[in-house]
Amino acid sequence: MASREFGEQPGPRGTGIGLRSPHVREILASRPPLPWLEVHPENYLGGGPAIAALERIRQEYPVSLHGVGLSLGTAGDLDRRHVYRLRELVERIEPCLVSEHLSWSIAAGAYLNHLLPLPYTEETLEVFAAHVDLAQEVLGRQILIENPSSYLRFRHSPIPESQFLAELVALTGCGLLCDVNNVVVTAFNLGLDAAAYIDALPAADVREIHLAGHSQNEADGHTVLIDDHGSPVADPVWDLYRRALRRFGPVPTLIEWDTHLPALDVLLGEADIADQLALTICGNDARANAA
Amino acid sequence: MPVPTLRELQAAIRDAMLGNSGTPAAAYIAGDGLDPEARLQIYRHHVSNTITAALETTFPVVCRLVDRRFFAYAADNYLRRHPPIGPCLVEYGATFPEFLAGFPPCRGHAYLPDVARLEWAMNRAIHADDHEPLEAARLAAIPPDAVPRLSFRLHPSVSFVDSPWPIDRIWQANQDDRDGGGVGDLAGGGVHLEVRRVGGEATMRVVSKPRFAFRQALHEGLPLDEAASAALSLDPSVDLTHEIHLLLEEGLLIEFTLYSGHPPRGVTVRRR
Repeated sequence: MASREFGEQPGPRGTGIGLRSPHVREILASRPPLPWLEVHPENYLGGGPAIAALERIRQEYPVSLHGVGLSLGTAGDLDRRHVYRLRELVERIEPCLVSEHLSWSIAAGAYLNHLLPLPYTEETLEVFAAHVDLAQEVLGRQILIENPSSYLRFRHSPIPESQFLAELVALTGCGLLCDVNNVVVTAFNLGLDAAAYIDALPAADVREIHLAGHSQNEADGHTVLIDDHGSPVADPVWDLYRRALRRFGPVPTLIEWDTHLPALDVLLGEADIADQLALTICGNDARANAA
Repeated sequence: MPVPTLRELQAAIRDAMLGNSGTPAAAYIAGDGLDPEARLQIYRHHVSNTITAALETTFPVVCRLVDRRFFAYAADNYLRRHPPIGPCLVEYGATFPEFLAGFPPCRGHAYLPDVARLEWAMNRAIHADDHEPLEAARLAAIPPDAVPRLSFRLHPSVSFVDSPWPIDRIWQANQDDRDGGGVGDLAGGGVHLEVRRVGGEATMRVVSKPRFAFRQALHEGLPLDEAASAALSLDPSVDLTHEIHLLLEEGLLIEFTLYSGHPPRGVTVRRR
């Protein structure tokens, strides 16, 4: 069933940061002028101090829920208990955005807790669209789907990833989260054209952008980019972000940083660079609405 | 080779991620100049690292006691045999203490599984669901002759951990801000601990053997009369009225049920 009726919801404006627990106290104390924050809902499904802190944060900032555990690409049933726990959190937090990944992590009862790659086939499209429909049904809102970072491609994967995402949007009415770092990483690792990838996405359906750092590793004498969210946004990613802004307009952008988490100021600095680029490329009009 | 179904492909990748050899996963992957096995290895490395880091967060004292390299080795073995059954990493590791108890390289460290049990209890205490305590006034309406058949639900953050080793002192000696570490004097004797969340923090405290027996029996869902005999068999002078008041006062009880008879241990039958 198509979920077009969820339509477009007003999203946040400007560049936010991924909220990681070591920064919670400082953010609550210093209230930096950030337009929005994003968290992984899987860290807030219990009780105690974590959810209490998130509720305090929510009183000050719009919060986006960026899921990593739904495993929308798993052949078989969705974990309904998880979908309903997520709904409880959505009702409690009233997030500005809800997103998940074009990936899978569950097979035969094992939750591998990693965003694993999918073959892009008609079968996968059918499975994925049905799961997006169910998730949007239960959550009662549109979700955004993020392009993954990839280190392999399957022999049988006839649909290009950007086209797969466009077809998913047409089938389900979901939106897209374009992770520009993931596009750079995947394009490098699989020998694809990053610019062409951005150009092939349905521009009007991109509702959020992610930016992050990656690292460069050697595997058997072969260079592989690793999406480790452990360093500043790299120059090729800023370049592609410019292209994304020209094509998608000033969609809300997020700075993600997970490993070797730096001081909060470093994240605020990265967010500032993104805001300045958006201002330069998309003009005053975009920033005028910034929170 | 024939094109696998999505389910077949995911089963093969799953097995490869859990370190099983002989899966057809690599055959489904285009090499593009790099061995498909090396490409799979990148994902396997991430899966193992994520799980190891999650277990290290939940069991930091165990990690410190055995050193990080050995801990990573144990965590990877645990992942292979007991992969997560849910998407929340703070909920992973309930069976890690049992796993350590049966893990041959840990045989020389008999106290280690009990330290892990204590850390799991602390982890549950911090992440368990919130719940309002039971109001004492609701119990006032129970006819006195039915009181022995009452059973209770305790707050989700509460656990009871006992050990023949001084696991509370081992835990204290291995906190991040303490120098030294190690296990200290193992001959120091055993301990009975109650672990719960108080004011947003996980706390442990030593409780007497009779109180431990009483509360643990209630925690297991046994009716009040059975919990009472468990305590009285250890100390006939236990003041049960006082014990129940304490439970209410400390907010440990959240719900009660009245049973029609004496169900067998561990079986709960609701009165119609």
